[in-house]
Amino acid sequence: MGDLLAPANTLEVLLGNEAVARGALEAGLNVAAAYPGTPSTEIGEALAKVAKQVGIYFEWSANEKVATEVAMGAAWSGLRALTMMKHVGFNVASDAIFTLAYAGVTGAMVIVSADDPHAHSSQNEQDNRHYSESVGLPMLEPSNPQEAKDFTKEAFELSSKYKIPVMVRTTTRISHQRGPVRLGEITAGFSKGKFVPPEPDRYLQVGAIARKHHAELLGKLKEISLDVAPSYAKVEGASDAEFGVITSGVAYAHAKEALKLVNVDAKILKLGMTFPLPEKAIGEFLSSVNTVLIVEELDPYLEMRVKAIAKDYAPEVEVLGKLTGHMPRVGEYTMRTVLNGLSKALGVAPPVNFAEIDRRSSEILKKVPPRPPVLCPACPHRSTGYALRRAAGRAAFMGDIGCYALLFQKPFRVEHVTHAMGSSIGLANGIDVATDQDVVALIGDSTFFHAGIPALINAVHNKRKMTVVIMDNRITAMTGHQPHPGTDVNAVGDEAPAIDIEKVVRSIGVDYVKVVDPYDHAATEKAIREALKHDGVSVVITKRECALLTVARLRRQGQKIVPYRVNPDKCTYCRVCINTFACPAFVDTGSLVEIDPTVCFGCGACVPVCPYGAFEPQEGSLNWREQKIGV
Amino acid sequence: MSVREFNVIVAGVGGQGILFTTNVIARAALKLGLNFAQSEVHGLSQRYGSIRTELRIGSDVSSPLILEGTLDLLIALEPLEGLRQAPYISERTTVVMNNHVIPPVGAYLERFPIPSFDEILELMKSLNPKQIMVLNAYDIAKKAGDYIVANTVMLGAAQATGVLPFPEGVLREALEEVSPSRYRDLNLRAFDLGRESVSPPR
Repeated sequence: MGDLLAPANTLEVLLGNEAVARGALEAGLNVAAAYPGTPSTEIGEALAKVAKQVGIYFEWSANEKVATEVAMGAAWSGLRALTMMKHVGFNVASDAIFTLAYAGVTGAMVIVSADDPHAHSSQNEQDNRHYSESVGLPMLEPSNPQEAKDFTKEAFELSSKYKIPVMVRTTTRISHQRGPVRLGEITAGFSKGKFVPPEPDRYLQVGAIARKHHAELLGKLKEISLDVAPSYAKVEGASDAEFGVITSGVAYAHAKEALKLVNVDAKILKLGMTFPLPEKAIGEFLSSVNTVLIVEELDPYLEMRVKAIAKDYAPEVEVLGKLTGHMPRVGEYTMRTVLNGLSKALGVAPPVNFAEIDRRSSEILKKVPPRPPVLCPACPHRSTGYALRRAAGRAAFMGDIGCYALLFQKPFRVEHVTHAMGSSIGLANGIDVATDQDVVALIGDSTFFHAGIPALINAVHNKRKMTVVIMDNRITAMTGHQPHPGTDVNAVGDEAPAIDIEKVVRSIGVDYVKVVDPYDHAATEKAIREALKHDGVSVVITKRECALLTVARLRRQGQKIVPYRVNPDKCTYCRVCINTFACPAFVDTGSLVEIDPTVCFGCGACVPVCPYGAFEPQEGSLNWREQKIGV
Repeated sequence: MSVREFNVIVAGVGGQGILFTTNVIARAALKLGLNFAQSEVHGLSQRYGSIRTELRIGSDVSSPLILEGTLDLLIALEPLEGLRQAPYISERTTVVMNNHVIPPVGAYLERFPIPSFDEILELMKSLNPKQIMVLNAYDIAKKAGDYIVANTVMLGAAQATGVLPFPEGVLREALEEVSPSRYRDLNLRAFDLGRESVSPPR
């Protein structure tokens, strides 16, 4: 939405993620690679959009580890490289990153970790500040979109100066915060570098060489803690205050406002670099107050380290936070969380009567039905879920990471597990070893390329009996439609060789492979039944593009989206459609089922679901299955 | 102009254009040189789930999240989602609400009763907001040319309440800037019809 290439010295509205991208462009970025993952995705989307114009190289890689290695290769060839990932994506990349810290870089490299407190769009609330310390890479933590841009740019300068990668950690409320950003000059572009190891053993991490590089790394980190970290430590507020707050990231933004509301004299130490920490600056701050509250999301990362520093600098100071029960450890912070924590630490009543607000609103909220995310109208996964329920209802279902994870919901319930990228097939291996149950693994196309293939190879080689359903919707859908190795375009819109999933599967040695259009419910059901009977590894590929792509294309082509309708003379109000298919366009009037025309995409997938044929096209409605739209 | 704190929530069902609506208001704030922080939702939860964006405008603002009870303007593209913002609504809140209820399909499976629009309106009134404007944004949007611009109709109606801290015309200019060219005229028509159609305060 914001103009990523707006001129220097102007103010532009940027999403935190766009601001990171802009910061990299201002720092002279040459190469960026990533695998999409919320809340990091828009960094790559922003770069993909401008890559050709600015002349940088950008790719959506097969997974985070490969993306990291692409960026490393560039940074080892003297270029400036960026990779970014969601917090759990860092786990995938970490094997490369741990050793990268020893190796360092000849150009510059920045690694963005976008954490997701509250697990808004994630499977856990992992706190990647721990990675920074255990890997041994400096970490900057912006507290708003402006800093997201500035810190990213500065991270490149630090990386270039100290010849080690630098991490930038954001959290959801920074990544997905939009705000005014004052821009600088774009200096990005691409020119070929040269791979020349600075010393012959620089990239050969074994034994004595690794130990030597480890010691060097620790030396650099010591230097950074003394020379750089203090400049990111900012004290604000009443200098004679006896109450202090130590904070960083978006928690700082909450704390700053919350302190105004509680109206007490206090000062804030805001840390922009959270590894290595500016020990002396923290020590001096602690010496100047009686009590300090640590305001940080997730783990008591700062709290533990501040306590250790306090022991040397100010043993009398009272350090409050998560370990003392003043602040919660689960979920993200809001103004309310921080106000409550502050009030508790100060021993005053919160300035807002939350109990009264809860009393007023709880009665109302009880009457508002929950609305969790559901599969979109026309989603091909709904049809696959429908067929799976009918054909394999008693199987053990190993799900994976993607929109189809929503198939855990009623009425489908064909996901017993959602774990980590590619885990569906790996887990199916294990469940088959351990039980006599039918096992079905459900995995999307992008996830299959990311981490599914080794597990499928494992299954074939170890003679497992299991069924893998690859739900190929021709895109990385959940994160907002990024291409992947199976699509015929790449990240910047150029034609690219599409890796054929069916061929990959056959080449591995799977001898039952069926490709079906999931909208053909009967054929899909039949394929799954056969697959389950097959003695060995069977694969069913349900292939139909994400409905949002189809709708967008139809609209671009000027096609009217004409919804279907329910013929009231045919509807018996048996509710089979709601109870087995549950399209969000269905409306239960109490005597009939109707279709909400503002929700229906007019796909016609519901037609075979009604035993009485009550779903009917209207004048101008399409039939995606019969007209082969979206396949 | 000076604004200390003005808090907006745009709430609805994922896919209704919630983010676009909020972006237009943020663009207006930028045009006026006002400080702001907007918090939004991306990823899986966009998909036909409850969505709200929070926009805070003003010199006192640093947090991107709104404190309960301090909402100034609620734009409810879907009424159930408007009601879900109950903890934020207080005597200082102006509510602009679309009257088209989209029932969550999961509620049928859980046998959770779905309140009618009239019930929703009564519950909303019980929160004592400053004013409630109700409109049939889909009908108006269809008059403008396509129901997909119901969100811009709501934006026009929000402008008509007069509570936004912007001089006349700025929001419409922002809409013009932010609209993709293909939808610009349609959006502006919808905005104008929305502005003209606000029902009198109840």
